[in-house]
Amino acid sequence: MGAECRYEVAQPAYIKLVLHALKHRCYPVGGLLVGRLSDADASTVQIADAIPLTHSQIGLLPSLELALIQVEEHFGAEGLSVVGYYHANERYDDAELGNAAKKIGDHIFRYFPRAALLLLENKRLEELLKGKGRGLAVQLYTRDSSKSWRQAGSDDSSQLLTIKEPSANIVLLDYITSEKWQDVVDFDDHLDDISKDWLNPDLFK
Amino acid sequence: MAGAAEEAQLNRLESQVDSGGGGAWEYLCLVRKLKARRSEKVLKHGLSILNDAKDRSKLGGEEWTLYEQVAIAAMDCQRLDVAKDCIATLSKKFTGSLRVGRLEAMLLEAKGAWADAEKAYACLLEDNPLDQLIHKRKVAMAKAQGNISAAVDFLNKYLEIFMADHDAWRELAEIYVSLQMYKQAAFCYEELILSQPTVPFYHLAYAEVLYSMGGLENLQAAKKYYCATVNLTGGKNTRALYGVCLCSVAINQLIKGRNKEEKESSELQSLAAEALLQDYKHRAPGKLPLLTTMLKNMKLIS
Repeated sequence: MGAECRYEVAQPAYIKLVLHALKHRCYPVGGLLVGRLSDADASTVQIADAIPLTHSQIGLLPSLELALIQVEEHFGAEGLSVVGYYHANERYDDAELGNAAKKIGDHIFRYFPRAALLLLENKRLEELLKGKGRGLAVQLYTRDSSKSWRQAGSDDSSQLLTIKEPSANIVLLDYITSEKWQDVVDFDDHLDDISKDWLNPDLFK
Repeated sequence: MAGAAEEAQLNRLESQVDSGGGGAWEYLCLVRKLKARRSEKVLKHGLSILNDAKDRSKLGGEEWTLYEQVAIAAMDCQRLDVAKDCIATLSKKFTGSLRVGRLEAMLLEAKGAWADAEKAYACLLEDNPLDQLIHKRKVAMAKAQGNISAAVDFLNKYLEIFMADHDAWRELAEIYVSLQMYKQAAFCYEELILSQPTVPFYHLAYAEVLYSMGGLENLQAAKKYYCATVNLTGGKNTRALYGVCLCSVAINQLIKGRNKEEKESSELQSLAAEALLQDYKHRAPGKLPLLTTMLKNMKLIS
């Protein structure tokens, strides 16, 4: 199971997670992915939104647990649940999915067996910023039958991770140029100042 | 390490300078004092002072400190040309200085010339074997190259000599947490709490690590340290209040079915829950329903 599972990520989710990483370039960042199984096609998971979680304390449980509770509570009303986790590494050269991210993925997998992990690909993002390269700046990982996380759809032909909007990267670059990443609020920021909203309702207005 | 109030002051100054309201030097001094990492702003505003001869002369002797601060900020922003110029100016004024030598080695680091940087630092260490900053650069280089175990090694050896360096203990704790080596991280925070028992941050960080370790004893200890944080921060720390709630729920789950006498007194967690509700009512009313549902589900409020 999971071998033929496709993931369709919504533009706001994709852009938000990249902006989150760019806001905190010196730190690892992570966040939750919320979505649902597609009505039209049960083997596709629609990733509707990304909730930025943290920029630094990746290995600690309290804020992760709090966020999971509140995110599930909030999005449950819309028929969405936590379907995965995204992560960006601290160092530019680090293209590996670390243990902390895998552990969080394992936890989410227990509740949603088609859980996805998205790792920001720094080199691909850099190419996009330079105007070269195509495709999404994230790498999809799914859990295989041996319980380990493997890269899925590494070659473009299999298209296991897609985005509906073809101009997503152009919109992304636009936001990056206008330094939109300054406005991203994550759960960590909320805990430091509860008047900040981790739902980022006005981010794309 | 900046507290919330100092951080707010820094942000205020930053917006003031950004909007042309002056106060650049004051801002730069505060950044230095708080050891904040605001390299793009420091580069922008620092350079504008340095490039203006009148502004520069107004600084007097502090001019050289600014060159150093801008050089480091430039390296952080990968503006190696600017860094080189600043270092050259400093080198002319202070030939053969250790401080300038360090900057030159840092520039090699910024270029990614690890071997050359190591050689440069080794050279400097010969004449200055107890220079703390150079020892810490070794840790930084190991970390930057992804050699985390070497970074941990160096940091441990460093702390054997310089055991009063709180920043180093904190750095080590955070590296351990990133490796999920919670016991070792806990040890670091214990050292910090022992030496600075009135700093709430250490109690909080310790509690978070204990909670992550799990198990009844750790959860009970975590609750105590969350409470200590609440105490030291006058009940204003959201994470600590949440922490008390989370611990109570986790503890009660673990001792379910045991002797009723051992059950946790519910006063503490109800107070924490109440405090959270009050705070959200005033500062985040949009999230109040969510919080209320969560606390009800956790049986912390009725």
